[in-house]
Amino acid sequence: MKRIVSALLCLCLCLGLASCGQKPDAEGTKKLTIWHDKEDAVIEALSDYLSAAVPDLEITFEKKTSLTDSLKLVGNDPAAAPDLFIFAHDKIGVFAEMGILTPVTEFLEEDTLTDFLPMTLAAATYEDQVYQLPLYFETLLFMYNRRYMQDDEVPSTTEELLSYAQANTGRGRYGFVEQHSTAYYSAAWIHGFGGSIIDEDGVPFPDPQAVKDALAYHLKFVALMPGETEYNTVNTLFLEGKADATIGGPWLVPSARDAGIDLGIAPMPTVDETGKALAPYSGVQGIHVLRFAAEDKKEAVQELLTALTAPSVGIDLALASGCAPANALCYDDSRVAGDEFVQAMRTTAEIAVPMPNIPEMDVMWTVVGNLLTDVNLSGKDIDSSFSTAADKAKELIDAMK
Amino acid sequence: MKKRKAKNTAVSYLWSAPSLLLIALMVVFPILYTGYVSLTNMNVYHWFDFTIVGIDNYIRALFVFDSGFLTALLATLLWTVVNMAVQLVIAFVLASLLNNQKLRLRKLYKTLLMFPWAMPGYVSILLWKTGMFNTQFGLFNQWMEKAGFTAARWLSNDVSAFLCCTLVNLWLALPFMIMIMDGAMQSIDRSYFESALLDGANWLERTRFITIPAIRPIIAPAVIITIFTTFKQFDVVYLLTQQAGAKTGSGFHTILTYTYENAFVTNNYGYSSAISIIIFIMLIVFSAKYQLREEGDE
Repeated sequence: MKRIVSALLCLCLCLGLASCGQKPDAEGTKKLTIWHDKEDAVIEALSDYLSAAVPDLEITFEKKTSLTDSLKLVGNDPAAAPDLFIFAHDKIGVFAEMGILTPVTEFLEEDTLTDFLPMTLAAATYEDQVYQLPLYFETLLFMYNRRYMQDDEVPSTTEELLSYAQANTGRGRYGFVEQHSTAYYSAAWIHGFGGSIIDEDGVPFPDPQAVKDALAYHLKFVALMPGETEYNTVNTLFLEGKADATIGGPWLVPSARDAGIDLGIAPMPTVDETGKALAPYSGVQGIHVLRFAAEDKKEAVQELLTALTAPSVGIDLALASGCAPANALCYDDSRVAGDEFVQAMRTTAEIAVPMPNIPEMDVMWTVVGNLLTDVNLSGKDIDSSFSTAADKAKELIDAMK
Repeated sequence: MKKRKAKNTAVSYLWSAPSLLLIALMVVFPILYTGYVSLTNMNVYHWFDFTIVGIDNYIRALFVFDSGFLTALLATLLWTVVNMAVQLVIAFVLASLLNNQKLRLRKLYKTLLMFPWAMPGYVSILLWKTGMFNTQFGLFNQWMEKAGFTAARWLSNDVSAFLCCTLVNLWLALPFMIMIMDGAMQSIDRSYFESALLDGANWLERTRFITIPAIRPIIAPAVIITIFTTFKQFDVVYLLTQQAGAKTGSGFHTILTYTYENAFVTNNYGYSSAISIIIFIMLIVFSAKYQLREEGDE
């Protein structure tokens, strides 16, 4: 009896293994697996929309905490990889160079994307190919607690912000806090001085003087902020009413509402010296198609992507989780137009700079993080720290190849 | 007779085959595969179409072993020595106290001492970072302020960061060492101590001539394992001081956090694998030397 059971189990195992390598049958081509790392509200809204818009497709959403690492391992293995994935645009270059992505334009009519915000399309494009269908975007906003900062006190320039911070910092309170020594937040200051972390050709710090000027000016603010630069400390200070204003993402809004904060949103202050506003990075969240899914399940992918270009999905996402839709037509909806935070993000989108999506940016997060730590937290000289960072950037970019 | 011996050997290997296969899959294969990748140009631009490039990656890897790497290597050695010395002393004292025959509620203390081991390391480290060392909300600074001192940035400079990392590492590692030492001490025949007491030996003499020689061979493997886990420590140092987006200003690096920042972020697997293999060889040499010395002592 035992032998028969063992033999049956072995047979099942062999059949199971054999089925792994098979191409999907006609039924299988209607099944799509989508990896993501998004919050539940976003996926619920997407899932509800798709079950009504494309009822013939069987779509499975799988949440992955280390999505990019998993894709690097199994991105070209149809048995283990998903068909599509939803992620920010900044990894497009890496995955395109790896050869696991297919441009989404292969599945869409030529003028389908004309209504999308130009910033989102720029973010989705790598080497003249659009590899992502943008769904929504996030960017940093200037937020303040109306209990402490009145609407008429909101600074319109960085000098006004500095004066406010100087006057309202001390005895356990802060006039203004931000994650001052992380690259994502500091990029806004660098852009405000006309600089950038890396250009589209992969050249790090194309305008060195602008970066140094930004670092030197930003130090005045750092002196008025806590020594910790990480997410939890900065956000807790704001949410507990110990900081009057902050620069934060839309993800802070639900927590601020829960904490009972009378939250105000204002345009980013303008740098007095340059006349340019602090221009934060924007992250465009969208759907990407894996190469083998494009070959094996072309019709299903086409049907799905076409459904996702409709403005109604963006409206649903904005209403469900306060996302700023990538499709400009969504903003015609009165409910979206009436959402102060979504509108603020749309306004900021006009000055926001999409995070670079070239592979070289991967190492720049570390390089800029170290530069900011040296200057802001270790008190090292700006010129020598910058010189070290520039050398390290070149070395790491060379080491990528 | 010979035939029977050969058959026995074959049967022994057959019974061990599942474990050997598992070890081969989980330990040997990754090492061999890393060695293979280190000889290729596998990177973002050649992810699936990589080719063999010989020892190019090893030549490039030598550039990572610059002065920064040497500083990190020395810091790692110091980190290993300090952690092991403090760990052994504290574990020995606590295990001795736990073995005191007059001690009441011994099982309760043992359970409490094992508690850090039951928590995932990642959670413990972040709890220490935000709950204890945080300048704004941390317990240490609340005590400092109550005592009339100004708040300190515990993780901001090399020395204090080193000490804080050591403290957290001890919190994480002590339960294992205490458990091993406690078990080793319990295995010592009580008659040795009774004879020594009759001969008039004091606590120090009993410890020196009975306890330490008796537990040494039992705790040696645990000590070797702990030396290596301490030497290749990444989590504690990275999460406390070097985490992306939450750096503290400290320049303290172990060789692994240093190579992570200087190689692994490049997505160049060939190059990173070469560095991993070199570090692996360093550890093997260190291990072989230590074990040979142990055997020599015996």
